[in-house]
Amino acid sequence: MPVPIIMPKFGFTLESCEIVQWLVREGDRVRSGDPICEVTTDKVNMEVEATEDGIVQALRYKAGDVVPVTEVICYLLREGETPTLEASALTPPSATPLARRLAEHSHLDLGMVQGSGRNGKIMRRDVEQALGKVRATPAARRLAAEHSIDLTTVQGTGRAGRVQGTDVQAALSEQAARPAGDAEATLLLAKPPTIRDTQTMPPPSIPHEADRHVVRLEGMRRTIAQRLQKSFQSAPHIFLDAAVDMSAVELLRGKLKAHGEKLSMTAMLIKACAWALGKNPPLNATLEGEEISYWHTANIGMAVALKDGLIVPVIHSAEKLTLYAVQQEVDRLAGLAREGKLTLDQVSGGTFTISNMGMFGVDRFTAIINPPQVAILAVGRTVQQFMPDAEGKPTLKPMLNLTLSADHRVVDGAHAAHFMRDLREVLEEPSLLAW
Amino acid sequence: MMQLSQDLIQRYHDVIESLGPEALKEMLQAMHLIRAFEERAEQLYMLGKVHGTMHLSIGQEATAIGAANAMQDGDYLLNHHRGHGHCMAWGSDPNRMMAEFMGRETGYCRGRGGSMHIADVDSNNLGANGIVAGGIPIAVGVGLSIKMRRTNQVCLVIFGDGAANEGAFHEALNMASIWALPIVFLCENNQYAMSMPVEKAFNIENISQRAAAYGLPGITVDGNDPLAVYSAVSEAAARARRGEGASLVEAKTYRYKGHSKSDKQAYRSREEVRDWQDNRDPILRFANLLVLAGVITEAEAATMRDQAIATIDEAVEFSENSPEPSVADILDGVYA
Amino acid sequence: MPELRELTYAEALREGLRQLMAEDERVFLIGEDIGVYGGAFGVTAGLLDQFGAERVIDTPISEAGIAGACIGAALTGMRPVGEIQFMDFVTLSMEQLVLQAAKVRFMFGGKASVPMVLRMPGGSGTGAAAQHSESLENWFVHVPGLKVVMPSTPYDAKGLIRAAVADNNPVIFVEHKLLYKTKGHVPEAPYSVPLSQTQIVREGTHLTVVATSIMVSRALQAAEQLADEGIQLEVIDPRTLKPLDDAPIIESVKKTGRALVVHEAVEMGGFGGEVVARIAASEAFDYLEAPIRRLAGLDIPIPYNRELEYHTVPQVESIVREARKLVKGEY
Repeated sequence: MPVPIIMPKFGFTLESCEIVQWLVREGDRVRSGDPICEVTTDKVNMEVEATEDGIVQALRYKAGDVVPVTEVICYLLREGETPTLEASALTPPSATPLARRLAEHSHLDLGMVQGSGRNGKIMRRDVEQALGKVRATPAARRLAAEHSIDLTTVQGTGRAGRVQGTDVQAALSEQAARPAGDAEATLLLAKPPTIRDTQTMPPPSIPHEADRHVVRLEGMRRTIAQRLQKSFQSAPHIFLDAAVDMSAVELLRGKLKAHGEKLSMTAMLIKACAWALGKNPPLNATLEGEEISYWHTANIGMAVALKDGLIVPVIHSAEKLTLYAVQQEVDRLAGLAREGKLTLDQVSGGTFTISNMGMFGVDRFTAIINPPQVAILAVGRTVQQFMPDAEGKPTLKPMLNLTLSADHRVVDGAHAAHFMRDLREVLEEPSLLAW
Repeated sequence: MMQLSQDLIQRYHDVIESLGPEALKEMLQAMHLIRAFEERAEQLYMLGKVHGTMHLSIGQEATAIGAANAMQDGDYLLNHHRGHGHCMAWGSDPNRMMAEFMGRETGYCRGRGGSMHIADVDSNNLGANGIVAGGIPIAVGVGLSIKMRRTNQVCLVIFGDGAANEGAFHEALNMASIWALPIVFLCENNQYAMSMPVEKAFNIENISQRAAAYGLPGITVDGNDPLAVYSAVSEAAARARRGEGASLVEAKTYRYKGHSKSDKQAYRSREEVRDWQDNRDPILRFANLLVLAGVITEAEAATMRDQAIATIDEAVEFSENSPEPSVADILDGVYA
Repeated sequence: MPELRELTYAEALREGLRQLMAEDERVFLIGEDIGVYGGAFGVTAGLLDQFGAERVIDTPISEAGIAGACIGAALTGMRPVGEIQFMDFVTLSMEQLVLQAAKVRFMFGGKASVPMVLRMPGGSGTGAAAQHSESLENWFVHVPGLKVVMPSTPYDAKGLIRAAVADNNPVIFVEHKLLYKTKGHVPEAPYSVPLSQTQIVREGTHLTVVATSIMVSRALQAAEQLADEGIQLEVIDPRTLKPLDDAPIIESVKKTGRALVVHEAVEMGGFGGEVVARIAASEAFDYLEAPIRRLAGLDIPIPYNRELEYHTVPQVESIVREARKLVKGEY
C-alpha cells in the first residue's frame, strides 16, 4: 500500500503552506528522513521529510502551489509495489466500511488518515481523530469547557483512548504547574519528527537510537510550543538593555536586615516595576485580536523555579501594596508554588512579567513575551563593577543587568526607553517609592 | 293497564302506607329528575358541549329510586358506570352532578372524574365505577369495615348483569357470605351487557339464582317497579342490619338508549325498545299508580316533568357559569 | 456496651405489625393462610392468638377479593394490611389495585383516600420456578397513585411497614423470600423509616451502585471484594421505588462519575431503566466517566433448575464483574 505524504500542520493556526520546491522527482528512491520538498509559511521555510523508505510517486502539486495542511502531496511506493502513473489510480487505503462512510460524509480524503487497525486498516476512531473529533466522557467535556481546555490536546487514558475527566484534571494541574508563555519553556520544546526548520536550526546529527528517549510533542507541551511559537512569530520583539546601580537598594536592604527585616531582590524589582509601569501605561497592556487593553493595575508575574519546571505566580495590584506587603506576598506565593498549591487565579491575570535568572549566575538574557502581555523584564545577576563616580574615579558598584523585551506592535521604542529610564531611577533612588 | 295498577295497589298496600304520600311523591319527582338529567345530558352531548362518552339510564329510574329509598342515612353506596340515576336517587345535588358531567371545577370530583366516576364521599356515595364489577370487591371491604367498627351501616353495591359474569363477583359474594357482611348486592339487569343479551350470557333464568351457590338469599324483582325494588332492598338491608349478612337482589329493567353514544344497537329491534317504552315505562307506571292510589292528582303528575326540567335548566346554567379546572392544579389529588 | 438486639427480617415485620395493631385498632391483617398457619413465610405467626380472628382475617383464595376488601375498608376509615402469598399472585389483584386503589382519590377530585398496605414476597432463589418467583415491582411503579416500597434489611422492614401503614395512600410493600431469615439490628421501640427517603448504605468514590431489595446485600458483598482491589463502591438503596427520592443518587453519580443499577426483576422495562434515565437526564450527566449500566434479571421466566435459576438474576460475582469493568473502563 502506498504511503501518503501529507502537508504537515505545524502551526496552531496554520491552514496552508506554499511548496517552494520539490527536492525529489517521481521515481526517486528515498530513505526515511530524506527531504522531499521545501515549503514555506509566511515566516520560515521547512522541509517535508519522507516518513518511510520508498519510491516517490504521484506528486500532486507543483512548486508555487499553496496546499492546505493535511492534504496528501505525494505517495511513497514500498519495495515491491507497482509504480502507478496516476495518483488517482493508487489503491485506495484499506478502511472499515464505517470509517469509509464517515470519511465520505465529512469529505475527508482517506489517503491522509493514518490507520491504527490491523495492517494499517483505517478504523472509525482514526477518521474521527483526523476530523478532530475527540472521544471523551461527559465529565471530560464539562471540565474542558469549564477551563477552556482543547480536548484534542489531552491524552485520553480511557478505553480506545477516550478522554476521561481525570485526564482533563491532570492536564489542568500540569497547566497550573507550567503556565504557558515563559521563555524558558521553549528550551524544553521537543522537535516535531518530520519537519525541519531550515533557516534557524542546524542540520541534525543523527544520534544513535540508544542515546535518546523520544517524547511526542503533545498535550500541554504542544500547547506551550504553539503559544510561544506564535508569540515569537507574531510579536515583533524589541530588546532594551540597562545596567542599574544597585547601591541604594543594597543600602536599604542592609538597613532593613539590621532591623530584622528581609527585602528580596524580586520584591524590590516588582515594586519598582509597578512604579515605572504606572508612569508608562503602554507597557502595562495586553493585546488580544484587534484590541489593546491598557490596565490600570500592575499585576506582575514573577517566575519561580521549581524542580521540574517553573511557575509564574502573579502579584496583583502591586502598585497599591507597600514594599513590605509585596515582600509578604512574594514569600507566600513562592511557598505555595513550591508546595504545588497555587490556584489558577494565582497564576493568571498578569499584565507584566519579571523573569529573574540572576540567582543561576546568568549575567543577562532575553525573554520571550508572555502573550497577551506586551513586555517582559529579564533580570540577570548583580555584579560588582568599577564605575566612574561623580569625580570620574573608578568606584566599585553593584551593577544589575536588566533586559526588557517589548512587543513593538504596541510598544514604541521611546515607550520602552522611558520605562527603562524610570525603572533605573527608582532603583537607584528607592526613596521615590515613598511618594 | 288500569287493572294492573289496581293489583299493584293491593300488592303494595303496606308499602304505600309505610312510605306515606310525601315520600311517594318525592320518589316520582326524583324519577322525573333522573330522566330530565339524562335527556339533557344526551342533548348537551349532541350539542358538542360534553367531552367523552356517557352511559344513560333512561328507562332504569325505578331501580335507582327504589333501592336508594330503601337505605338509611349513613349507609354506603357503590355503583357502576351507568350511575347518574343512582347518584341522583342518593340525593346528590343536580348542580354539582351536571358540573361534573360537564367537567367543571365545581363538580363533585372537580372535573377529574366525569360521567363514569361521580362520587359524593361526604354522603358515603363511594362512587360510580368504570370497570365492570370493579366496585363489588370493594363492597366486601366496606362491609368488613362496618363490621369491625361495629356501626349499624349497610353497604349497597349496584352492578349490571355483565358484572355477574366477572370473577370478582364470585370472590366477593363468597367472602361476604362467609363473613356475614352487611351488604346488599343489587344486580341491575338491563338485559344487555353492551350487546350481549342475558339469554346468551347466562344459562339460568334469573341471576339471583347464583346467590344460592354462596349461601346467600337471592331474589329477582321487577326493576321497573320502584316499590318492588324498594321492598326487596329494604328487606335485604334490614337483614344485613340485623347481622344476618348479605343478600343478592336482581332487578330486571331495560335501558332505552344504546350502551353508550357510539352504539348503533344492531343487537335489538326498534319494536323491542318501543314495547318497553310504551307498556312498561317506570315513570308512567308509577305516576298512574300514585294517581290511582290518590297520592297525587293527574294535574300534579302533569307538572312534575316540567319541574324536573326547570331544575336541570338551573343545573346547566350553574355548570356553564362554573370555571374549568386549572391546568396548574393538574397534579392535585394523586396522592394524599 | 450492650449487645445490639438482632431480629430476622420476618420477625422485624411481625414486630412492626404487632406494635401497629396494638396501638391502632383500625389496623387489621387480611390474606390467605395468615392466621393459624402464620402466613406462607411465617411473617404473621402468633398474631391471630394475640388479636383474634376479626383482626387477622384468613381469606379464601381470592386475590381480587383481598385487594378489594382492603380498598373498601380503607375508604371507610380502616387501615388494612393485606398479604398476597406470592407476588406472582398479585396479577389476580391487578384490576383492583391499578384501576381502583390507585385512582379512586384522583377520580373523586381528591376527596377520598385509600390508606392500605399490600404486602407480598417477590424474588427467586427458592426453586419455586416461574410462577412463584416473580419480581413485578415495576408494574406498580408505573401506576400513578400507588407507592412502592422494598425493604432490604430487618431494620428497614420494621420501620418501613410502620411508615407504610401510616401513609394515606395505597402502598405496595414488596418483601423478598430470601431475606425473611436474614438477621440484623432491630430496636424494640417502634420507629418509622420515612417513605421516599433514599439511603446511602456504603460510601465510595469510584462507582455508584443503586440496588434494591436483596441486591443491596449482594452489592455490599461485591463492594467488600472490590475494596481489596482498591475499587470503592458507593451503594445506594432507594427503599421506596415510588415516589422515588432521586436526589441522593444524582449527587452520588456527580461524585463518582459512574453508575450501575442492580435489581432482580427482568432488565427490559425494569426499574433500573427509570434510574438510568433520571441520571442521564440530570446534571449528573456532565460528570459521567462511563456509560450508565444496568445489571438485572435475564429476560426469561425463572427456571426451576438450581444452576439455571442462579444464573438468571444478578449475583455477587456478576456485580463484582460489572462494577470492575465500569471502573476500569473495560466496558
